[in-house]
Amino acid sequence: MTHIDPVGALRAMLMIRTFEDTLARRKEHGFQLLSSGEEAVAVGLASALGAGDQLLTGGRSIGPALARGVAPERVMAELLGKSGGMNQGRAGRGHMSDPEVGFFGAHAVVGGNISIAAGVAMARQLDGDGGIVVILFGDGACGAGALHETMNMAAQWKLPILFVCNNNQLSVSTTRDAALAVANLSDLGATFGMWTRTIDGLDVQGVAAAARDAVRYVRDGLGPAFLECKSIRLRSHSTTARETRSRAELAELQTHCPIRRHADALQADGMLDDAQLEQMRQDAATEIAQAMAYAEASPYPAAQEVLRHVV
Amino acid sequence: MLYEQKPVMARMFFREAVTRAVREEMTRDPHVLILGQDVGSFGGSYREFDGLYKIFGPERIRDTPVAEAATVGIAAGVAAAGYRPLVSITYMDFLMLGFDALINYAAKLRYKTAGGLSAPMVVKTTAGAQGQGVAHSQCIEAWLMSVPGLRVVAPSTPADAYGLMKTALRSDGPVVYIDHKRLFPTPGDVPVTETSIPFGQACIRREGTDLTLVSHGYMMRVACDAAQIVAQDGISCEVIDLRSLAPLDIDTVAGSVERTGRLLTLEEGQTVCGVGTEVATRTFERTGPKPWMRIGALPAPVSSNPVLEAACIPDAPRVADAIRTLLTR
Amino acid sequence: MIYQLSVPAAVPGVEEIRILEWHGGAGSTFAAGDLIVELETHKAVVEVRAGQAGILREIKAEPGDWCAVGLRLALFSDSADEPLPEGDAAATDILVDFEVT
Repeated sequence: MTHIDPVGALRAMLMIRTFEDTLARRKEHGFQLLSSGEEAVAVGLASALGAGDQLLTGGRSIGPALARGVAPERVMAELLGKSGGMNQGRAGRGHMSDPEVGFFGAHAVVGGNISIAAGVAMARQLDGDGGIVVILFGDGACGAGALHETMNMAAQWKLPILFVCNNNQLSVSTTRDAALAVANLSDLGATFGMWTRTIDGLDVQGVAAAARDAVRYVRDGLGPAFLECKSIRLRSHSTTARETRSRAELAELQTHCPIRRHADALQADGMLDDAQLEQMRQDAATEIAQAMAYAEASPYPAAQEVLRHVV
Repeated sequence: MLYEQKPVMARMFFREAVTRAVREEMTRDPHVLILGQDVGSFGGSYREFDGLYKIFGPERIRDTPVAEAATVGIAAGVAAAGYRPLVSITYMDFLMLGFDALINYAAKLRYKTAGGLSAPMVVKTTAGAQGQGVAHSQCIEAWLMSVPGLRVVAPSTPADAYGLMKTALRSDGPVVYIDHKRLFPTPGDVPVTETSIPFGQACIRREGTDLTLVSHGYMMRVACDAAQIVAQDGISCEVIDLRSLAPLDIDTVAGSVERTGRLLTLEEGQTVCGVGTEVATRTFERTGPKPWMRIGALPAPVSSNPVLEAACIPDAPRVADAIRTLLTR
Repeated sequence: MIYQLSVPAAVPGVEEIRILEWHGGAGSTFAAGDLIVELETHKAVVEVRAGQAGILREIKAEPGDWCAVGLRLALFSDSADEPLPEGDAAATDILVDFEVT
């Protein structure tokens, strides 16, 4: 996709938000890492990728997986541990994958998927198929040695990999400023001579444009690139973690919601009216209700399957 | 000629057996790669990749910076994406830096993707004490044996090094292949024809009737020396080389213990939750309880100090004493 | 006088070496410091140099052969016409220097 479809981007973001809200409302939803507030990063980034590219993420992977095109009902079933999930319910939150659609997978060790992604990029380079790899991680991973080691090797070997930091500015309860000494997180990439940019991760069209530039650079064989997207996290770290921010702070954060912002912009530009927006919300609700129904109907794996696929 | 060479065997150094296995597999399968420190034109810290860089070039044989965590991770990723990397980790102690990618990702990938993806990679590393101190001497294979999805092998002869490396490079999941530094100076006979040794097959190195002595890696030499010492007292030891630690060949060990009635396990690593403890437990699940003892390093770090190192690591006289003690039980 | 050259214990832990190359044959004369033979260990090449003058009379192991430490590799003598001893009769060790590279 060369240009993001602004209406389509809104639809995609609404679908992610509705998906996560629906999941969180389910009485037994387990331990989930939600990405509300970060939808513009996932959707903008995914718009810049082609069919032969692969996306890898940290544990906060629902939005990116959906944006990349994994079927919502398969994601929902996977997150609930049902056989109808793309990994038969074995991976669950934080570890799901669907390489067929370009989502090579999540890995919920913070920083742990970064070197893996560089290996997948090495395979793309050896295959010479023009495909690139994007690794999406949070600011929490920026203090991890694995990132620094991998950036060095990726730059040295000119691997076709784009490092995207979704800087939601919180690592559980620790703020980015309290954890990381570097001024801009994209400066980390600059150290290794990469193309770098720090952008507003709440602006889906801005993310899409920057991602397009970064992807072109990487695809042209010029080496890795590093894109920092500053976003917000509207929910607590996980569905089982305490919220550390006050109600007032959270209410203030809601005013920066990337979905509301994009919808307002489209309406201001006359590209969307209230009825269309409402229709879009209803469509998302219907689609996700169907995904949930699919997941609810899907059985758990049999206990005897516990020893399958070990070696 | 000082050695009668059987026509089907060729004598070679340990490293040459490894080189041959890797060369054959790289020739057979263009997806086999080597990653690691000093593996390129230098040929590996132990010369185990001598000459391969000239044949296969920098695309397939990549020198890495000193970055074990990322190197193991990149290997796991390239493996998941269709290649078969061999990662060289110079000292097993340094493999700890790569545990995250190896254990949290590679060993679990098949499981978590319900068989959709796997990480066919070989981590080749070198264990054991040889005067290099507390962080260059450890044998931590027992830690790895408990990881579901991981295979662990440790040859004691060039022939096994060759045959196990061949199998490792054809395995469809992660394998940790462990050499021991003290085995490198000793050559051995390797079959001239291309062969491989399946994982999970122990080997009886010496037949005996009084006691079963089980070991692996360099401690096999200590075990054989000890068996020789006690043979002078008329004690007949059966000596078994595990070769493969995960999977373990309990059939062979249990069969032997049924015959001899006693088990002595020997390893260079720690005995707490060690290889010997696991072997004994699983053997006695089959045979019922039998008299047994375990020998390993003393519960102390392995110093580069020659006196302290030797005090820490089992040797043949210590093993011979244990054999005599066990025979009184 | 007859001298023997045996496999030196040049590298700790090495019990067996492989002959890489002889630098001379039967009848070759060596002065102190001349390279006689190169031996291969698992990771090094051992250059064996004459520590005294002598004439190489007989080579007992060819390149590619494996020899344990202490085994006789060659016989030397002071003059070209001295008769060589029968079999494994004892001989004085020739003085050598060796360099491990």
